[in-house]
Amino acid sequence: MTQAVVVARQFDDPQQQRKASDLGMWVFLATEILFFGALFVAYTATRLHDPRAFAIASRLTNLTLGSINTAVLLTSSLTMALAVRATKLGLRGASIAFLLATAVLGVAFLGIKFTEYGLDWRDHLVPVIDFAHAGAHAGGVESFFYLYFFMTGVHSIHLIIGIVTVLVLARMATRRDFSPDYFTPVELGGLYWHLVDIVWIFLYPLLYLVARS
Amino acid sequence: MITHPVPAVRTYVLVWVGLIALLLLTLGSAFIPLGWGNAAINLGIAVAKALLVVFFFMHLRSAHYVLRIAAAAGFFWLAILLGLSLTDFATRY
Repeated sequence: MTQAVVVARQFDDPQQQRKASDLGMWVFLATEILFFGALFVAYTATRLHDPRAFAIASRLTNLTLGSINTAVLLTSSLTMALAVRATKLGLRGASIAFLLATAVLGVAFLGIKFTEYGLDWRDHLVPVIDFAHAGAHAGGVESFFYLYFFMTGVHSIHLIIGIVTVLVLARMATRRDFSPDYFTPVELGGLYWHLVDIVWIFLYPLLYLVARS
Repeated sequence: MITHPVPAVRTYVLVWVGLIALLLLTLGSAFIPLGWGNAAINLGIAVAKALLVVFFFMHLRSAHYVLRIAAAAGFFWLAILLGLSLTDFATRY
């Protein structure tokens, strides 16, 4: 044991302090759900306005890279969950290894995502800057790509924050900041990481799988 | 020192296997022409994946009820946001 748990004066004991932290994090996550929720509502309204355009536009996304990225992110959630588990058990080495693995998978996701943006740019699918699509549904297709870039872009920003968080947690773990008595930062970082994963779980079918048959 | 009950590594790995299986299922089903059925299957599978993550990876399965209420509140308000918006948009066309 390297350090005793510091209990702030408003709490009776470490357990109560930990419950308060968890609750605060879930309240923050609820605001995140509603933040992304507004974008999903915008997506739904736009899609209902011109379903054919969304079918055409979705076929222009890169299904292979999108599917691989989904698998990468789901796997990163596994390593994050295992990092939290290892930290709770006081397995410092495993905790650091799983945190770093999570960061690596997060960076891999971003690398694939930005490769995909490069291909979208090559195919003239970037609204406002360089968008070229002819046909009766061109307006709707452009609306789809507005939403595509905004939703995946905001998701990527969240992921970058997640990667920085996980790296900071790994650094803290090497300094022996955590113990089976104190692992709140890792637990809360994990909750954030999993929520970012859940957002992608919904983005994937809505952006990539609209009309593949 | 406090000991915390933690799920076995096996549980986490099985959840991950389930998530990847659902990913392959949603990907495969997208190639079968079912009209709006495809959208329904895709969304159903996405909800199933999200529930796996929420209950097992985010530990809501074993969480204090206050946390469950906080989590449910987020999704409840999202349902209001979606539901009330759709009373307009879904009936327009």
